[in-house]
Amino acid sequence: MSCVFPFQSPAKATMQILTQLVFSGIALGMIYAVIAFGYQLTFQTSDTLNFGQGDALMLGALVGLTLVGLGVNYWLMIPIVCVFGAFQGAVVERIGVRPAIKIKSEFGWIMSTIALGIIFKNVAENVWGRDDLKFPSPLPESPLHFLGANVLPMEILVVGGALLMMLAVEVFNRKSIYGKAVVATFNDRDAAKLMGINTGLVITFSYALSSMTAAFAGVLIAPLTLTGATMGAVLGLKAFAVAIIGGLTSGMGIVVGGIILGVAETTTGFYLSTGYKDVPGLVLLLIVLAVRPAGLFGKTAIKKV
Amino acid sequence: MKRSHLLLAVIGIAALALFPVGFHNPYYIHLVETIMIYAIVLFGLDIVVGYTGQVSLGHAGLFGVGAYTVGVLVFKLGASIWLTVPAAILITAGFGALLALPALRVSGPYLAMVTLAFGTIIQILINEMSFLTEGPLGIKLEKPELFGHKLDDREFYWVVLVLMVLALIVVHRILRSHLGRAFEALRGSPVASDCMGVSVYRYKVYAFVISAGFAGLAGNLYAYSEQYISPNTYNFELTVLFLLAVIMGGRKSRIGSLVGATIIVLLPKLLDDIEMFRYVSVALAVLVAVSAVVGIRRGKSTAQQMAIPVVGTLLLAGLSFKLQSMTDWRLSIFGVITLFVVYYLQDGIVGFVRNALNLKQTSVADQQAAIGVVKGDAVGTAAGANAAPELLKASGVLMQFGGLKALNNVDLVIKRGSIHGLIGPNGSGKSTMMNVLTGIYQPTAGSVAFAGQSVVGRTSSDIALSGIARTFQNVQLFGEMTALQNVQVGLHHTFASNLLDVALRTPRYKRESAHAASRALGLLQFVGLSDLAFEEARNLPYGKQRLLEIARALALDPQLLLLDEPAAGLTAPDIKELIAIIRKIREHGVTLILIEHHMDVVMNLCDTVSVLDFGQKIAEGKPAQVQADEKVIEAYLGGTVAE
Repeated sequence: MSCVFPFQSPAKATMQILTQLVFSGIALGMIYAVIAFGYQLTFQTSDTLNFGQGDALMLGALVGLTLVGLGVNYWLMIPIVCVFGAFQGAVVERIGVRPAIKIKSEFGWIMSTIALGIIFKNVAENVWGRDDLKFPSPLPESPLHFLGANVLPMEILVVGGALLMMLAVEVFNRKSIYGKAVVATFNDRDAAKLMGINTGLVITFSYALSSMTAAFAGVLIAPLTLTGATMGAVLGLKAFAVAIIGGLTSGMGIVVGGIILGVAETTTGFYLSTGYKDVPGLVLLLIVLAVRPAGLFGKTAIKKV
Repeated sequence: MKRSHLLLAVIGIAALALFPVGFHNPYYIHLVETIMIYAIVLFGLDIVVGYTGQVSLGHAGLFGVGAYTVGVLVFKLGASIWLTVPAAILITAGFGALLALPALRVSGPYLAMVTLAFGTIIQILINEMSFLTEGPLGIKLEKPELFGHKLDDREFYWVVLVLMVLALIVVHRILRSHLGRAFEALRGSPVASDCMGVSVYRYKVYAFVISAGFAGLAGNLYAYSEQYISPNTYNFELTVLFLLAVIMGGRKSRIGSLVGATIIVLLPKLLDDIEMFRYVSVALAVLVAVSAVVGIRRGKSTAQQMAIPVVGTLLLAGLSFKLQSMTDWRLSIFGVITLFVVYYLQDGIVGFVRNALNLKQTSVADQQAAIGVVKGDAVGTAAGANAAPELLKASGVLMQFGGLKALNNVDLVIKRGSIHGLIGPNGSGKSTMMNVLTGIYQPTAGSVAFAGQSVVGRTSSDIALSGIARTFQNVQLFGEMTALQNVQVGLHHTFASNLLDVALRTPRYKRESAHAASRALGLLQFVGLSDLAFEEARNLPYGKQRLLEIARALALDPQLLLLDEPAAGLTAPDIKELIAIIRKIREHGVTLILIEHHMDVVMNLCDTVSVLDFGQKIAEGKPAQVQADEKVIEAYLGGTVAE
């Protein structure tokens, strides 16, 4: 990540490094935002989260890698991976979440989505091996010069793709009748059911959408990092930090939260040690929850007695 | 504890103690030792998961803190076991507090994620702070010395056994005490706990810190037992394994923890031996299939319900013959087991066996006899009888939710020793007033003074302890606890004993505990529920639940008691009984505020009645006066209709 230019003044070089760190931080942050967006989708319909969201991302990336290895074009691969992700999300909902919602057990869905995440990870380890794999970049790997810093074309793709994905889902949710069903289900699951909305299907669908966005994020980030069975766990956790910072109900919040975290991370990684790069996000999570449990952008619910 | 239980425990401990005498193979000794060490973690984790009902994914991290405390102390300072054991417990408890103080303001999935983040941070720190922890290389250490004698494998086993038994006794005592009841109460109903003077936040933190202490002790022993520690042991999988063990063994049970520990230690060994695994999986498939057939025959379950476990176990059995090695699929197997346990074995193995054998606790008469005869009057006489006549004065209370003014400039003065009725149509703000008085809501503006002190800005538990008790419109009992225990939670404030008193069973604790039990029984007698003292609160009929709430509120020795629709859902004879009870409460000098829709109850009992409508006080006075008030009639019936 560090490239110091020999013929420049030290101050300018420092500035350049910083700009560069900010750019990669933004790219990373958008990935967090997309995963966090996935958390929001399911939380909106069912008050539940997929603790294996990071593993959905990992599976997406690995399936994408296999497809590319089979000779499928990167751009053609993306929709296939999205379909796979949606399917995987639906499976998680059916096996892990639906029974728990039925018996109203919070402990149930937390444990079962964790268990499914572990199973997915273990299966991936056995299918793709335990080593990290290189994902071939679909765009040229030589950096572009922008504002005096080097930016990888892939990073721009990540930012654009992530924004586009969130926007598309958001528009779909707002404009279509399905979106109204989602809002209704969120507000009052039982009333929505009585109004003839198949709330079970809405929840399944939200899980499918959620895992789909995660899988998509996986193939976006894969060319920038290494791909492997363990790539998901920490990503999923930090994306939760973003979801909390942004609030589980605020769309704008997660983009801001993602960028804050992404930049905090790349700068920590550069100035302190890469070993510590995961720490700021997690600490931020602890602090935000301690100070404002509803997130920076979320609204506090009124408890009813 | 029953004598047969005690006998079983003694036999079990004796068997464990004699184990290394019979088996000289160090492998098996180490295996049992590990089970005991894990059991210590699980005793602690059960406090958090089983009793307070929170999900902690940080216990592997805490376990690691315990292990590394020993590692670092021995490696850097050559410390002895006399120092490392208390150090590990205290330092880990400190880390527990560090996590709990911010994290326990949230619950459920948030808490799970926060504890997971904490566990991850711990692992990163152990890896990175190599100046202290030697990083990924890990630390080697030897078995400790005791009285100048270096322990061998067998002797250390006995040390672990002694500490495990001690931990077992301490945990058991804590959970049987007022502390344990507080933990269980905050799971049952956080709001009610706060209003019984048991601060939810504080007791959640206590539970977590105590639990962390046990994880620290276990980590300590683990370091000595393995003689090598490295950061990657204390990972996410271990944390999930601990949770799995608690629910699989059985929540709220020490035997459950022991069973759970045995399973998670032995299962990986089992999976290493593919031959053995094949036998076990076939046996399991047969067992599940047979119990499914029996279940369906007896009509206890449907074919649909049983299809998944039967097919699942059959598949597992088939798979075991297909695969050459199970080791790589270890985590998947654990994942599948977790799913199975979460949905089909919610009460764990211990709970399942208890249900299947229909084991019932001791009989009611025996338990009542054990508590002893109730002496004197269980209902306390309210304090401050001779103080100022105005007990409560609320002025200009405004409670705003967004644009809605649930209470708009309400003044309320309650005279000491009176029964003050608060009536009004649905949604007029009566319950909101209650919530403001008990600190559940902070009023947007206005002041509330109780016995001359402001209550605004104080926590619910603080207000409760200063003498305001309440019941709830939607019954808020601690469902899984018995009626007696519910009342005992209300008596929490009568305990001055601390953790040490509880662990050592000092005379002070014994005295307080016996007193609280007999008083709780007396309070149940007062409301006519003494026959149901040992029934779980959730199993009581609705009307009795309301009475139980009154008994629990009285346990606080309140000066002011707020009753929120006590007669709702009661039959006519029950209502008569209720009126008599409320009169008797007043005779003890307790002031009452009564929200009620049954007008005959209100008219019969109240000295003064205030009427709310759309958040505003529209009338106040003697019952008859209010009843004739035109505004009141209009509010209730709409338009001016004569009664």
